Amino acid sequence: MITPKHILGTFDEALASLRNNVLMMSSLTERSLERAMKGLFNRDDDLCAHAIADDEEIDQLEIQIDKDGVAILLRFQPVASDLRRVVSAMKLSSNLERMADQATTIARRARKLNQHPPLAEVELIRPMYEQAVSMFKDSVDAFAREDVDLARAVVPRDQKLDDLNRAASRKLIERMAHDPEQLRGYLNLIFIGRCLERVGDHATNIAEDAVYAAAAEDIRHQPVVATT
Amino acid sequence: MVNLIMASPDPAVVEHVERPAELSPTTEPAPPLTFQVKNVSIWYGEKRAIDDVTLDIASNAVTAIIGPSGCGKSTFLRCLNRMHELVPKTRVEGRVLLQGEDLYSSTVDPAIVRRRVGMVFQKSNPFPTMSIGENVIIGLRLNGVRNQKFLNERLEKSLRMAALWDEVKDDLHKSGTSLSGGQQQRLCIARALAVEPEVLLMDEPCSALDPIATAKIEELIYELKAQYTIVTVTHNMQQAGRISDFTAFLYMGRLIEFGSTTKIFTNPSQKQTEDYITGRFG
Repeated sequence: MITPKHILGTFDEALASLRNNVLMMSSLTERSLERAMKGLFNRDDDLCAHAIADDEEIDQLEIQIDKDGVAILLRFQPVASDLRRVVSAMKLSSNLERMADQATTIARRARKLNQHPPLAEVELIRPMYEQAVSMFKDSVDAFAREDVDLARAVVPRDQKLDDLNRAASRKLIERMAHDPEQLRGYLNLIFIGRCLERVGDHATNIAEDAVYAAAAEDIRHQPVVATT
Repeated sequence: MVNLIMASPDPAVVEHVERPAELSPTTEPAPPLTFQVKNVSIWYGEKRAIDDVTLDIASNAVTAIIGPSGCGKSTFLRCLNRMHELVPKTRVEGRVLLQGEDLYSSTVDPAIVRRRVGMVFQKSNPFPTMSIGENVIIGLRLNGVRNQKFLNERLEKSLRMAALWDEVKDDLHKSGTSLSGGQQQRLCIARALAVEPEVLLMDEPCSALDPIATAKIEELIYELKAQYTIVTVTHNMQQAGRISDFTAFLYMGRLIEFGSTTKIFTNPSQKQTEDYITGRFG
């Protein structure tokens, strides 16, 4: 959608800067999550360390986005789609920061796992990661392109991630009973699964905010129609 | 919310008008209406200032009229109490119903209309030769009221309603122009209230006031709507957002969109409205 120029050029600049920071933050979060998961799958401690280090920059961007958002609200008192864009950007940054925290937790637990012999059950985590990251990418893409249909389609996909997490947890708990020697390892995998499940929750939040930004519709806390 | 998309002579302009009902009519009855404006057009000589405007104004609510300069906001406001007729070569088509009664019927006296529909202007205009007290009750005096006890009671009541009594009760004999700008504007509101109108029209009532005086007027508007129907013209979007329940956007004499203020300022239906309120107009 082409938005006509604002009568105040500084407003357009401020809004563009806010949006760019959100997109930058989402790129960094995606990279952090990818590094943490590769650190797990490839047993690479360096990647895990990078994922943990990324968090600082993401935290700073969250602070910057909040500061810029408040400044825009204060200076320009935006309304209608402008107001929704600012509010959504600030909510997005909060979700992205929490996703990055999940990536950090995954990286920390991956480093612990890497200290012990590999577990075949790590493969239970892979489909969860694929589901979570695809939800994440689509939700941010929907926000960036103001694509309401894509954003709506993200929300029901969270159910599959929840199901995958439940199934993986069940299997890992069974393995703990049969192989108590690796109890800590299985526990770490359960926690990593939970982190990915939360990444999906945040992606859902972002998708809901994307719908609000583009269509002024609040779709939170509505019954979800499951998709296959 | 009931949406009425009205046919427009110009297919490029689709007027979007929402009836002033906060809830669906299936769950909540529509609020009572003070004005029903039906297909009103107003000409100043050859120039059409208002073009086929239809809208309902809810009772005991604040309706804000917004739009760029020259769009017909003040003309529209003034047609609600026939004040625009004071401009020569003015012509009106359509109907304006006040509580169901046609204001433009040949049997209706414009002076009575203006008593029922009071008005406050952009610049406060107390009568400079009169005291504060006289300014308030002049309308009653001109209507033949002579009972001093009644006048005194109405004076206090009006000043209290205009949130000015405590500030001027010991200075009622002083000139109206001795007051500050904000106080003068509230004095004019008290003067409008003294004749007990049904409606209060306000034409940019805060545009000449500082933020504190503006806040007092805005607070007053909020309190007055319990007893009066208020229609206000404002250039200040934030003010419209703060004080009004319904907002009408006029452009080049046409009603582009009308609806609840929350809807207009978060998700307007018309692109022209969106462009105007977000500052992307023209």
